[in-house]
Amino acid sequence: MAQTVKIKVTVNGKQYEREVEPRLLLSDFIRHDLGLTGTHVGCEHGLCGACTVLMDGEAVRSCTIFAVQADGHEIQTVESLGTPDNLHPIQQAFIEKHALQCGFCTPGFLMTLVDYLGDNPNPTEEEIREAIDGNFCRCTGYFNIIEAVKLAAQKMASH
Amino acid sequence: MKLEGEHVFNGPREAVWEMFYDPEVLASALPGTQKLEMVAENEYEGAMNVRIGPVSGSFTGKLVISDVVEPESCTLTVDGRGTPGFAKGVGRVQFIDQGDGTTLMKYEGEMNIGGALASVGQRMIDSVAKTMIRQAFEVLDKALEARLAAKASGSEVVDFKPPSETEFAAAVAKDMAGGLTKIPEVRLLMYIIPLVAVLVLLAVLFRGCSG
Amino acid sequence: MAGKYVHQSILRLEDPELITGNVQFLDDIELPGMLHAAFKRSDYAHARIKSIDVSEARKLPGVIGVYTAEDFGDYIKPGPLQVPPPTAIKGATYVARTTMPIAKDKVRFAGEPVAIVIAESRYIAEDACDLIYVDYEPLEAVVDLEKALQPGSPLVHEDLPSNEAGHVRQERGSWEQAVKEADLVIKRKFFINRNAGAAMENRGIIVQWDKHAKQMTIWCGTQSVIALRNQTAARLGLFESQVRVITPNTGGGFGPKINTSLPDDVLITYLAMKLDRPIKWFEDRRENFLATTSERDQVHYCELAVKRDGTIVGLKDFFYHNTGAYNPYMMTVPLNTQTHTVTNYRVPNFLTEFYVVFTNQMIVTPVRGAGRQYGVFVMERMLDAAARELGMSPVEIRRKNLLPANAYPYYTSIIGQDFVEGVLDSGDYPTSFQKTLELIEYDKFVNEVQPKLRAQGKKVGIGVACFSEGTGVGPYEGARVTVGGNGKVVVTTGYTSQGQAHYTTFAQIVADQLGVDVKDVKVITGDTGYFGWGAGTFASRGITVAGTATHLAAQKVRQKALKLASKILEAPEEELELADGVVRVADIPSKFISLGDLATLANPMRGTMEPGTEPGLEAVAYYGPPYGATGAGAVGLIVEVDPETMQVSLEKMAFVHDCGTPVNPMVVDGQIHGGIQMGIGDAFYEELIYDENGQLVTASFMDYLFPQATDMPKKLVLGHMETPSPLNPLGIKGVGEAGAIPIPSVFTQAVENALQETGVEFDRDTLSPSRIFTYVQQAKGA
Repeated sequence: MAQTVKIKVTVNGKQYEREVEPRLLLSDFIRHDLGLTGTHVGCEHGLCGACTVLMDGEAVRSCTIFAVQADGHEIQTVESLGTPDNLHPIQQAFIEKHALQCGFCTPGFLMTLVDYLGDNPNPTEEEIREAIDGNFCRCTGYFNIIEAVKLAAQKMASH
Repeated sequence: MKLEGEHVFNGPREAVWEMFYDPEVLASALPGTQKLEMVAENEYEGAMNVRIGPVSGSFTGKLVISDVVEPESCTLTVDGRGTPGFAKGVGRVQFIDQGDGTTLMKYEGEMNIGGALASVGQRMIDSVAKTMIRQAFEVLDKALEARLAAKASGSEVVDFKPPSETEFAAAVAKDMAGGLTKIPEVRLLMYIIPLVAVLVLLAVLFRGCSG
Repeated sequence: MAGKYVHQSILRLEDPELITGNVQFLDDIELPGMLHAAFKRSDYAHARIKSIDVSEARKLPGVIGVYTAEDFGDYIKPGPLQVPPPTAIKGATYVARTTMPIAKDKVRFAGEPVAIVIAESRYIAEDACDLIYVDYEPLEAVVDLEKALQPGSPLVHEDLPSNEAGHVRQERGSWEQAVKEADLVIKRKFFINRNAGAAMENRGIIVQWDKHAKQMTIWCGTQSVIALRNQTAARLGLFESQVRVITPNTGGGFGPKINTSLPDDVLITYLAMKLDRPIKWFEDRRENFLATTSERDQVHYCELAVKRDGTIVGLKDFFYHNTGAYNPYMMTVPLNTQTHTVTNYRVPNFLTEFYVVFTNQMIVTPVRGAGRQYGVFVMERMLDAAARELGMSPVEIRRKNLLPANAYPYYTSIIGQDFVEGVLDSGDYPTSFQKTLELIEYDKFVNEVQPKLRAQGKKVGIGVACFSEGTGVGPYEGARVTVGGNGKVVVTTGYTSQGQAHYTTFAQIVADQLGVDVKDVKVITGDTGYFGWGAGTFASRGITVAGTATHLAAQKVRQKALKLASKILEAPEEELELADGVVRVADIPSKFISLGDLATLANPMRGTMEPGTEPGLEAVAYYGPPYGATGAGAVGLIVEVDPETMQVSLEKMAFVHDCGTPVNPMVVDGQIHGGIQMGIGDAFYEELIYDENGQLVTASFMDYLFPQATDMPKKLVLGHMETPSPLNPLGIKGVGEAGAIPIPSVFTQAVENALQETGVEFDRDTLSPSRIFTYVQQAKGA
């Protein structure tokens, strides 16, 4: 198990070169090797969506991808979106609609939505429910998240 | 979980009974088997490595055969344990001479599983077991055919090649619902469960005793 | 009671940091030299341990140690009770068999730890677990609640004569009398199953021991820092002050995180000291299902005595309650069931009795709702059964029996989880019921919409149910409010947060008292280094109990500020006001002193402190209510059932709620939303299923169905009422569990109504498409 593989991954625009075990999960790599702890892990079997990141612009579950599979690819995490003083429109919409409570699942929702709204700037409510169906939230009942996505779509359209 | 069913072997009862005599035939139907040894009269121990895809773990199994009425029936008790959990089964097997050169095998048994096998895999085990039974009989049918052919030609070499681990797992995966295979943990279980199911099933089918 | 901030939907102060990943959850914490723990757990629900071979695991490179019960010696013993026994209830009996930190000789549930590995990484620790070989002698598992009490059943605890863990019988009036007065006695049996807390963040703990400072620091997403600190100190022979418990940001609690003296905190605190290295353990999802406490089944035998006009004369409820393998949390859940059976309707005679039963399953402790919804379910189901037998409508029978608006305070005579008699402090149930009927457009649906849709072959149905929620119980919580020299305010409390917006709502309360900008109030929760007194986050008591303590502390600081400013500004206190961060003379705005300057002056460096005064613009206050404040409400639901698949689509839900003064209405709505989702899970998706051998067969999100966005009602209408609680100055009642409580009741009623022509009647709170199908088949065959 001591065998390692050298990988080059670009995360949030910065290139990292690391020696990793082949079995290291991308989520653990991002969180523990790179210290980017905004990405969370909720189930480790690809169902809850908390660990969603973008890989070459597409939303993926980092708990079911090995770090070695990300070799040569570009990853974006929640840290790439906005800062407390300069929020991404989706983040702003989530705050305005009270779409987060404990906030643990939120980064996964945001990354799913960055990808989704990029392709579908004007979704219907039903489409929004489908779009976020792969992300679990235990606090909000999703009601306010759905409202936030509608608001985010408006905000992004007017940008 | 209950297992029950029947299968017609295209061969006389004695030949079928004899086939179960041979641990090698049985081991051949079980990819990954490291050993299958007789440790006492009517008692066997087997070990298999589960090392397919992301799964690595070892299973050890113990098989006890009782109530032997040669060549008609026996009761089999199997106890398998390993890192992904345990499986325990009891089965009653009957061989009925159909008078036309074929043998009807009837089996009924019960299997209990625990550990990760149960907590993460229970829902799939019924359908997987069905696949496994079909697969196992296919293997055993071929083995019987090869044995009978060898006997007919007086040859000592039995021309029978068991399926490889990979072919075996691929066949199981094919039988499973396609959608679930995208999830690694499901994928993982789809390999473990069949293997354990085979272990237990073989015990149920298995006669291989000196009785 | 409204203020500049209280009763306003201000946006949450914690969100900008939380939403950008700029916060710290437990597993984000990395300490130099930190080791990682993993547990080897039992595959058997009930078995004797013959031997454990750890030799191969110990040899694995990177493994620091592998420990079994033997290695801990006398340190391993059953933990303390987390909740005292119900001695306040006359005739109540109980035995306590509390949690074993690690199995010794015998395992009592699948998932119970038998060994712990400490290694350089979690990956290595888990590898080592696979190299531990345990030789078990399997025993027959105790799984079925009723069979468990029959003679000859295998015993979970062999030193006890049976699997009975306790018995409580309470009676108001006389059931015997009720039967005599009744025209009809209706009997039903109900099966209830509850689910996992399933917070998105699993449980975990990090422990660091500083051997030079003799100081232990624990980071843990616990719902009670005080219990964790006190029990750890007592166990290790330390002062409470030598143990600091800090809760980082926590990804949801929902009940199970209240528990302390579990294997992780007991073993890891010990090993961190022994090995002199920080240790982290963080649960994975399968462990969360197997080895984090949850709620489980009850079986109820219920009888309702009614007059022919639908008037209730009495109720008898006899039930069994599954407590799992150990009972550290005593009887909180079944007592909540007892109290909540009769808190919405006039039930002059009530006999309630339960047996608590040990089984070879995970320990049962509260999950959001905590047994309240079982009581509500039983009562609502009995009303539906009565309506059916009497030929009344579900609305009519409820109207007839609802407690009137002038009934409060209403004494229930039933002692609850807080060991005092249940008292409904305030409310207006008929109005909330009426409002719900209007919001769901009940009459229009029944008279116009439903017949039309039924004519098109659609299976549509409606339900309506009432509930109450005992909240904000004692014993007490406390808070300290401190004005700094910078003019900003810090609030510290021993209460803990898991996403309930305390950083905002407590700040709103303080900002109103001290006249500061709400953004200038910083709230610190769940850190014993800042505040070391309190009980914990449970029973929807945060805003009611800790919020009131915060309010009282802020009032004290206000008084101090006025007194000091009065001297400095040479004006009587009555002429002063606190606003915009200053104390000023109301009529002369130029005559003021800032709170910051006042705080500095309140801590004199020379001279003499006036006797009877205390330094600083700081105060501590505690609040303990005589009994809990009871929130209440009603819910209406319209469903459509697909007759082929029996999938239930939630077309519209109307939810009316009364939690007294909502400190932040937006946050109140959010609490209800989340509760509704858990209730929907409870009613139709989530179920912890144990097989006949005690194996949990739903230990992943593949089998344990977590409600997703497409499972929620297509339309949700909330209605609010505010009958302030007389128990606290702000008139607050809790709201944390409300949403979860009435959903199974309304769901079963609405689905029954949709399938009315089949005559189906449900006797359990967790349905599924296949269950509904089976019920319908049975109804057709009958």
